[in-house]
Amino acid sequence: MSMDPVSSRTLAPVIPQLTVVPTTAHLFMFSAVTWNRHRIHYSKDAAVAEGHADVVVQRALLGNYLARMLGQWLGGRGEIRELSWKVLSSAAPGFALHCIGEATSVDDHTYDCALRIVDDQETVIVTGNARCTLSEPAA
Amino acid sequence: MSGIPVPDGVRAMIGVTRVRSHSVNETDIARFAQAIGERVSRRGGILEAPPLFYQALAYEAVPIEELPEDGSPRELDVPIPATRTVGGSSEFVIHRRARAGETLTVATSLKNVIPKHGKSGVLYLVVVETSFTDAAGVLVAREIATFIKRA
Repeated sequence: MSMDPVSSRTLAPVIPQLTVVPTTAHLFMFSAVTWNRHRIHYSKDAAVAEGHADVVVQRALLGNYLARMLGQWLGGRGEIRELSWKVLSSAAPGFALHCIGEATSVDDHTYDCALRIVDDQETVIVTGNARCTLSEPAA
Repeated sequence: MSGIPVPDGVRAMIGVTRVRSHSVNETDIARFAQAIGERVSRRGGILEAPPLFYQALAYEAVPIEELPEDGSPRELDVPIPATRTVGGSSEFVIHRRARAGETLTVATSLKNVIPKHGKSGVLYLVVVETSFTDAAGVLVAREIATFIKRA
């Protein structure tokens, strides 16, 4: 598969950063809508007993932050077709998470992207990759 | 190869698929969007689900008494000598977004259990595959999620 330089397409290769500060309310809502009753996400006692500093931001929620960043970048012109992410460090509520990404290659209407989430100390919380397709030909 | 045995009871569970169906409605989509801090919008009059909305359907609705003591999803409940669980990674393929009003078939299977030596001792990677199929039998999304279980 041949890859053209990203710069030849209309979407900027650097994906605008998204910063979120998940709260315990967000974790509660996300556990509720996913029917995830794992106690480390809502009971600090349970989380601490398992070695965490506080309740733990869900793996699945972290993926949604990456998806939100990609969605804002795509601006309704395309779709996320593949998204993978790996949690390298636990995240706790009340702290900023900075979602960062860039397109690493583009082929026809398909962008491959490298993603990560870091905290204020630049600790890498998540690394990830995505493949997005534009719904119209790039100029 | 880690040299750590996988209990026979686990081997018997690998590949076993549990199937259920879910009706998707606008309230489900709106609540999911709010939980991730997203604003929902309509396209062609249809409420557009966030791309990873399928996560809302991933865990089976079983009574809490049937869950492990830590409340983690039943899908991860395998007989290994490890009780602490955290999410490890996820690989999502999304062929199209979910739509309000449709019924999706959700199939979940234990794909693998991989023992490893970690920094703090033995850990197990529990790999779960979940596929989402529409009423026409077309695969609309698939996730392979890996969870880390430690003693």
